[in-house]
Amino acid sequence: MNNPQTSTTGASQAVSVTPAASAVAVKAKPRRRGALREIWAEYRRSPQGMLGLFIFMVFLFLGLAAPWLTPYDPLQDQFLAERMARPGWMSYFPAYRNAPVTVDRFLLRNWEVTTADNVEITWGERQDEPVMLVRTTGPGPARLVLESTFDYHSSSPDTFFIQIPYAFVGEGGATGQMVFRFVTADGRSYDMWTSRTFRNEVRWTTQRVDSRDMQLKMRLGFRPLANLAADLINAQGEYRLILELTANAGETGTALFTLGESRFRIPGQLHGLLGADHLGADLWSQFVYGTRTSLMIGFVVALIAVVVGTLVGIVSGYVGRWVDELLMRIVDVLISIPFLPILIVFVAVLGKSIWNLIILIALFSWMSVARLVRSQTLTLRERAFVEAARAAGASSGYIMRTHILPNVLGLVFASLVLQVPGAIVSEATLSFLGFGDPRVPTWGRMLQNAKSFGAFGELAWWWILPPGLALTILAMAFVFMGNTIDDILNRRNREE
Amino acid sequence: MSGAYYWRRLGYALITLFVIMTLNFIIFRIMPGDPVSLVLSPEFTPEVRQMLREMYGLDQPLWTQYLLYMKNTLAFDFGRSFVTRQPVLRELLARLPNTLMLLGTAFVLNVVVGVVLGIKMATRQGSRLETGVTGVSLFLNAMPSFFVGLLLLLTFGYYWPIFPIRGTMSVPPPTEFWPIIFDRIHHMILPVTAVSLSGYGSWYLYTRNNVIGALGQDYVLTARAKGLTQREVLYRHAFRSVLPPIVTLVFLSLPGLITGAVITESIFSLYGVGRYLVDATLQQDYPVVQGCFFVIALAVLACNLLADLVYGLVDPRIRLR
Repeated sequence: MNNPQTSTTGASQAVSVTPAASAVAVKAKPRRRGALREIWAEYRRSPQGMLGLFIFMVFLFLGLAAPWLTPYDPLQDQFLAERMARPGWMSYFPAYRNAPVTVDRFLLRNWEVTTADNVEITWGERQDEPVMLVRTTGPGPARLVLESTFDYHSSSPDTFFIQIPYAFVGEGGATGQMVFRFVTADGRSYDMWTSRTFRNEVRWTTQRVDSRDMQLKMRLGFRPLANLAADLINAQGEYRLILELTANAGETGTALFTLGESRFRIPGQLHGLLGADHLGADLWSQFVYGTRTSLMIGFVVALIAVVVGTLVGIVSGYVGRWVDELLMRIVDVLISIPFLPILIVFVAVLGKSIWNLIILIALFSWMSVARLVRSQTLTLRERAFVEAARAAGASSGYIMRTHILPNVLGLVFASLVLQVPGAIVSEATLSFLGFGDPRVPTWGRMLQNAKSFGAFGELAWWWILPPGLALTILAMAFVFMGNTIDDILNRRNREE
Repeated sequence: MSGAYYWRRLGYALITLFVIMTLNFIIFRIMPGDPVSLVLSPEFTPEVRQMLREMYGLDQPLWTQYLLYMKNTLAFDFGRSFVTRQPVLRELLARLPNTLMLLGTAFVLNVVVGVVLGIKMATRQGSRLETGVTGVSLFLNAMPSFFVGLLLLLTFGYYWPIFPIRGTMSVPPPTEFWPIIFDRIHHMILPVTAVSLSGYGSWYLYTRNNVIGALGQDYVLTARAKGLTQREVLYRHAFRSVLPPIVTLVFLSLPGLITGAVITESIFSLYGVGRYLVDATLQQDYPVVQGCFFVIALAVLACNLLADLVYGLVDPRIRLR
């Protein structure tokens, strides 16, 4: 990596050689850097390989960008939509044209200030979340009106929810009050929540308003069993949400409101990109976070498996004799142990944590790599440059490190790519059978939930198909990439 | 000369069996907590507890326990289930026929469909049909086997309710002979299809690739030059030479098949050994888990050994090495 400078002392030379042994070996043979470029040039010509790479990139993007692609936590945020809500884009189909679509407004920076009398707005942070600070600037009454609008074009919903996190501090006898007002498309106005008059201090609380609340309905002049949401949201058009803060700072006091992110939410029968599960949790966020987990598991398992496999393969192939015999017998035994049953038994005993799964899957998947690397090492051992090194007095460890390892790296890389899909599918299978980590969202878990909580009875294909197809497509992408690399390496080996 | 090969294979199989049994013993002893509670359900009556305690030698040192465990396991005595309180062996034997039927049928289907399709498509390499078949096979091969099962269940169990969605027979079961048979078959169709669809792909791809390789060889050209028909060339010459690698595929496909059984039985709620393993593990019914695992491992080992022996028969070079 760093420039191969001329060494000044023996000590510094030793230090620079050991950690970067392979890099030095690459430097020593200028041909090899060209080799990588050649392999890439050849890879680029393979449509199959490029398709695999493209699919992989798409999933990688989904996995990495997960927190930016969805505002929800895949496990915690529930009741965002009706039970098993269909995907939002299904409103393009005639049958669902009028089905209520989830409206979920997060209101903080996007509040529109319509009236600001005698107040000053600043921004702060509370527990790493941004908050709006509203402070009176002078004596006497003060008023701030915040407004936000949304368009509604579907049939009437069954419920809606409002939540307003806030705090209040009044000094010198200042008082304050908050009102949340809902203005319908046809101009009716309802005070959904009117706070008491604040004096002194109100600690951080979250005010929740539920349209099913009977007292609320009666206060607004509806019958206790009326469907408030349907009565309020009964026409298409623009609805307005208004939050009004009033304060009286008195002669010398000041009032300070702290306002967190308010939320107005209509759980719809159509929701998001992929709909909702049995608890109204967002399936799209489960999907993208599942992508993240799957790729992580796939790569970590493959990495462990490949490192162990390469080590065993090289040692077994180069040292030979009884070491080879012993290691290969171990490989034989491990390969003939039924994979899934032993994983089930082990997970049951050791506990369902994600790292247990990773280590166990890796423990039972390095053997094929070891076999491959061993056979490659056997042929390398007879090559002239290895014999030359041995004749020059190089130790076995040195030869394995600097002569064998760089020459099996291509093979190792191909097996790394080919190991990933198996690991991903193994984890998904275990999760599907109920042996996954309950704290981690994965594709297998989505499918397990779908099976356990009635997605099949409801024909909720938007819940079942995405994780399953993603598993299939991602697995195929890795097989495409691995096969392409494998083909190229085989061709090069034959040409040499 | 040739006997040595078989004996060595048998020796390896026995060593593997020994390792598996030891693992099975160790796994359930490295668990945190009192090992006694693993074998003894707290719900047993004191008399039964005492009887079991003596039977397993749980009051004795670990080494004696190990020997006793080996003895019991080799006699297929896995103790009693915590849940049903029946001997595990009886429960296993009741479930085994269903699993064997599922796997046997699926295995035969895999081999027949995969190999025949592989040979046929090898002769049409590059045609539109061949590209399509290969693409579909690749796709099904990459699809996790549980998803294949779920798709079948969704399509033919729920959307078009043609086939039953769970179980090995109707409740209440029919009483006459032929209705029983039809009822069983009706319940088996979806699971067998699921296992086959996710398993035939490897047979197909393997056969196809090997036959394509063989068709390029000189001896096939010679056979053609002799004026043999395409059929004779294909089956007498090309296919015969790819037989040995195909036999090794028995060995390679078995773990997948067993995995398929565990998954498919869980999806379709079949009364079989695979689902028993999953359910028992989820219910922490440890004697059953141990029993199921041992039986499954034993089956895989036996099949592997068989594949090795057959391989020796098919390919004489192996025996003489």
